Amino acid sequence: MTVIAPACEAELAEAIRAANGPFAIRGGGTRSPAADRPVLSTAGLVGVVLYEPGALTLVVKAGTPLAEVEDVLAAKNQRLAFEPMDHRPVLGTSGDPTIGGALAVNASGPRRVQAGAARDFLLGAVFVDGEGTRVRNGGRVMKNVTGYDLARLQAGARGSLGVLTELSFKVLPVPERVATLALACDTPGRAVAEMSRALGSPYEVTGAAWDGARVLLRIEGFADSVAYRAGELARIIPGLAPADEDPWPALRDGAALAPMERDIWRVSLRASHGAVLAERLREAGAAVQLDWGGALLWAATAPGTDLRAEMADLGGHATRLRGQGSTPARHPDPAPVAALAAGLRQKFDPRGLFAPEG
Amino acid sequence: MELPSPNPAILDRRAEIVARLKAALPAGTVIDDPRGLVAYECDALTAYRCPPLAVALPRSTQEVAEALKICHEMGVPVVPRGAGTSLAGGSLPTGDAVVIGVARLTRVLETDYADRIIRVETGRTNLSVTGAVEADGFFYAPDPSSQLACAISGNIGMNSGGAHCLKYGVTTNNLLGVTMVLMDGTVVEIGGAHMDAGDLDLLSVICGSEGQLGIVTEATLRILPKPEGARPVLMGFGSSRVAGACVSDIIEAGVLPVAIEFMDRPCIRACEAFAHAGYPDVEALLIIEVEGSPAEIDHQLRLIRGIAERHGPEVIRESTTAEESAAIWLGRKSAFGAMGQINDYMCLDGTIPVTELPLVLERIGELSAQYGLGVANVFHAGDGNMHPLILFDANKPGDLELCEQMGADILKLCVEVGGCLTGEHGVGVEKRDLMTVQFSEDDLEAQLKVKDVFDPKWLLNAAKVFPLAVTEGRRP
Amino acid sequence: MQTNFTEDQLREPGIARANEILRACVHCGFCTATCPSYQVLGDELDSPRGRIYLIKDMLESGRPADAETVSHIDRCLGCLACMTTCPSGVHYMHLVDHARAHIEKTWTRPWPERLLRGALARILPYPGRFRWAMVGAKLARPFRRLVPDARARAMLDMARAPIAAPSAMDQPQVHPAAGPRRGRVVLMTGCAQKALDADINAATIRLLTRLGIEVVIPEGEGCCGALVHHMGREEEAKQFAARNICTWMAQMEGLDAIVINTSGCGTTVKDYGHIFRNDPLAEAAAEVSAKAKDITEFLATLDLPAPERHGMRIAYHAACSLQHGQKVTAAPKTLLQAAGYEVSSPADAHLCCGSAGTYNLMQPEIAAELGRRKAGTLMALQPEAIAAGNIGCMTQIGARSGVPVVHTVELLDWAWGGPEPAKLAQG
Repeated sequence: MTVIAPACEAELAEAIRAANGPFAIRGGGTRSPAADRPVLSTAGLVGVVLYEPGALTLVVKAGTPLAEVEDVLAAKNQRLAFEPMDHRPVLGTSGDPTIGGALAVNASGPRRVQAGAARDFLLGAVFVDGEGTRVRNGGRVMKNVTGYDLARLQAGARGSLGVLTELSFKVLPVPERVATLALACDTPGRAVAEMSRALGSPYEVTGAAWDGARVLLRIEGFADSVAYRAGELARIIPGLAPADEDPWPALRDGAALAPMERDIWRVSLRASHGAVLAERLREAGAAVQLDWGGALLWAATAPGTDLRAEMADLGGHATRLRGQGSTPARHPDPAPVAALAAGLRQKFDPRGLFAPEG
Repeated sequence: MELPSPNPAILDRRAEIVARLKAALPAGTVIDDPRGLVAYECDALTAYRCPPLAVALPRSTQEVAEALKICHEMGVPVVPRGAGTSLAGGSLPTGDAVVIGVARLTRVLETDYADRIIRVETGRTNLSVTGAVEADGFFYAPDPSSQLACAISGNIGMNSGGAHCLKYGVTTNNLLGVTMVLMDGTVVEIGGAHMDAGDLDLLSVICGSEGQLGIVTEATLRILPKPEGARPVLMGFGSSRVAGACVSDIIEAGVLPVAIEFMDRPCIRACEAFAHAGYPDVEALLIIEVEGSPAEIDHQLRLIRGIAERHGPEVIRESTTAEESAAIWLGRKSAFGAMGQINDYMCLDGTIPVTELPLVLERIGELSAQYGLGVANVFHAGDGNMHPLILFDANKPGDLELCEQMGADILKLCVEVGGCLTGEHGVGVEKRDLMTVQFSEDDLEAQLKVKDVFDPKWLLNAAKVFPLAVTEGRRP
Repeated sequence: MQTNFTEDQLREPGIARANEILRACVHCGFCTATCPSYQVLGDELDSPRGRIYLIKDMLESGRPADAETVSHIDRCLGCLACMTTCPSGVHYMHLVDHARAHIEKTWTRPWPERLLRGALARILPYPGRFRWAMVGAKLARPFRRLVPDARARAMLDMARAPIAAPSAMDQPQVHPAAGPRRGRVVLMTGCAQKALDADINAATIRLLTRLGIEVVIPEGEGCCGALVHHMGREEEAKQFAARNICTWMAQMEGLDAIVINTSGCGTTVKDYGHIFRNDPLAEAAAEVSAKAKDITEFLATLDLPAPERHGMRIAYHAACSLQHGQKVTAAPKTLLQAAGYEVSSPADAHLCCGSAGTYNLMQPEIAAELGRRKAGTLMALQPEAIAAGNIGCMTQIGARSGVPVVHTVELLDWAWGGPEPAKLAQG
């Protein structure tokens, strides 16, 4: 297998210009790169370019391992608030996730429901498009509407519009205290109702998930404030009690579903529809979890199941993270929208070098 | 500021264009009387004006699609308009363009508190979105100062921010889905009531595209539960530099207020005259707001006061009543208008890294002396989004040009220290020619490619955002 | 905002004032958000910002008014919500007054409109004529559907209201204070109001005298001039106003206030100073304006005894002339609360009900839509009665609300020892 690992943007651009067939773009290699394409690795594009804790901004090369980024921030008591998911447990891969990879799939964890997705914390990006042109967009300030937001367009584009080389993010302080509250609950309908009650309250819930047996709520902030809000939430949701463990990394990564020999799906839909779909899938024998107050559904289904057939009336979209089915892994967009996306890919990558593989 | 000269071939067909629009749209939708067109010759940036060829004010997505389809077929440029409150000339017409305004699309289509979303037609004003849900304890977070009047369509076009974006993010962070009409009349649904895109995140590029990719007629927005309480505190300082340093210290300390606003003396006086908020008469004022329960508010304010006191504030005063808080915000949000009592002005919108505030404020002072034009500063200090108001006399020949030059110098300074030309108002026509200061030719070309896909004939709002020389050959 | 007047033009005081107003406008568009006609029509030409533009264009060019401009200026209710909203302090009222006068001078309206406006100008300000007109309209009502003009139909509809018998109380006289005299006021008894509802003046007089205030109704006072002023008939308006000024100036000694209980009139009387600013009467007019007080404004200055509580749920409708024209916003609600009523305000309280002087007669469609919206927001409060400080609003809302609409002063009179308002007793 050919691996090209440019050491700088110029080398990357050169490699792209010289290419005569599609690449598999690889960050940390945690998401199973295809074997039949040469690998274009960002491993040579690493390091923090600028970190200004007083301005809450971090500029970093795209190939920098996530762990390294998190360490740098932790030293100043700051963090990436979107808590990117780690794909390794579900995909059974190894390697170190990179910041570029996280952004390229818009990997967002439980805090997405309150703080936002990876895309929401992105301030700017540099990428090299399919013709080897370096493009800079956005910047490193909190508010920036200068020109089109091509940086955010890269979030979730999986490199299909270009190879990310440098990213800037808004970072946030690490809160003084984190608390998790749990409520026994075995039906998705009730779980979503309780999560909606919590998320619709002024007590700033930063995680609201259902693991199949319990509703889990997270609150973060100054210690006194966390204690106060925990008390108020328990008042409006009787039965809610402090939980000792930290369930959030496992919920973020779908860790409970990973060991099952099933297909794994991640479905984004409106919260109340999350309850409906969860109920349908459970009846069909799937293992289901909910996050984002119900707006993110995780399902482990029998291999080959077409989950999308169950949600035709619900809207949203489903991604098959793991498994081989006859249906595409990514949710097809409606024709006029798909045409716009295809048009953009044609413009930024006319030779199809970065065409997604599935 | 150069405006492209209208295409004579289009002007010649004016009667035909108007006739086709009138035939396709209900009576009272198309304005073509020259007197009436004059009122649509500009938005809130009055320095540049040009009456359009015609104005259409449709009442539905379908009518918007009809109007666009006709213009597309006839090759007529279109300038979309929301409430016409752009400070960047976002809805400034060209003489050969049809203005399509969405002001009559104001309905609330769906409200769902369990899912915390609202779907509205985009002519609805920002504040009336909150108005539709506040009795039930919710609000729509982005709060541009013009929120009383500005429309959601324009908020999406400019990716509008506001004072409370420090905590809640800007429009793009609160927008879930849109119904958009493309230039050829195709209606597309992008996003929905769910979070994040399945494939490409087209919403992210639509939001902030200044009406160049399509006309958004409906939007699904995130609504949030209102905090238990909120309290602004006023802090007066002896100089802008010290106030700027205080802001950066607060942010670094890890206390995140929901808003940190800055006003200097000229602005304080103008706002006080309108809102009677009891602002102290100081050189530089910070309005810092925190939210939560009374105890949480007290705790945060204690921390903030602790930091501020190291900078020797002249005044620290917490608001004690809801009426007082409302007056404090009314004054701040009316700052641009209130300055109108005193002078003509040009409002800038550059953003800088917060750590550069003291330096940039000082340099602006120097430029003011150099050009002999006064400057009043009012801005969102917490996120470095500055609004220097350059004061000039619109009736004095040459003053506008001088003002434009000074504005360009300030914006170049913003870019120089690591910032950008515009934080929330948009490029529009005002900052169009400065885009090359911030972007390379390749950077701009990449943006143009996006428009090529959405609007291949370059008919939508095409004289904006990018320097005319850069778009030459693409525009009809 | 930039303006383009010549030196010559600016020598004319009206233009100079218009220029000053236009220069303050920054075109921010805030005014559009609180403009009722824009809310209904959605065209900027029907908003203050659009009208300011049309007026600017008309005045700068010095040309006569045209049909397009006139139609949009005519759709302005004159509610002045825009002035409350405007952060730049643009004096829209003086600008639109100037424009209306310019229209009146330079534009010939189509004859049916001339006829209608002429008739209104000759009838409304005179209670006697107005009463007879109402009787006539009542007789004509059965033939309403044969009337081709919506405006004329709207006039006939007004005759749905019962015609008030002339009252002895509001004839020229002095009503002495009950007990020791604590003050002395002139009461402006109004014109159309007298014909539509005699109870308001009666309640005002009872309440004031009971509170120790001598109430003078001088011989010679009449219409404030607002009705014709808003039609652009400057000279007629000034004749009405001058007569009032002279009448009231004779009463100035020891006078605490000129009390007005129709807020539409109050706004105009308070503007006499400006209307006569370039006139020999300037000083007297300014003095009169300074003395003019809305009834609630005046009552708020008095020490009030403990009320007789009736515990009624009242929705308070803020008349535009009161809240925007005179900026009297707190007093009526505070007084009603002090009187023991449970008071609430509707959503969009800043929006006009559509009455606006003769507006409901001249622009019946827009007025009806605004009336419908206002009644809706008021009734959403589930009140037992609605209170307002202006007869026009009372008539407009009363036709749509389903609960009695009373004048604020009637409720106050009831709480402080007066009879239960007849409208409540009947309702």
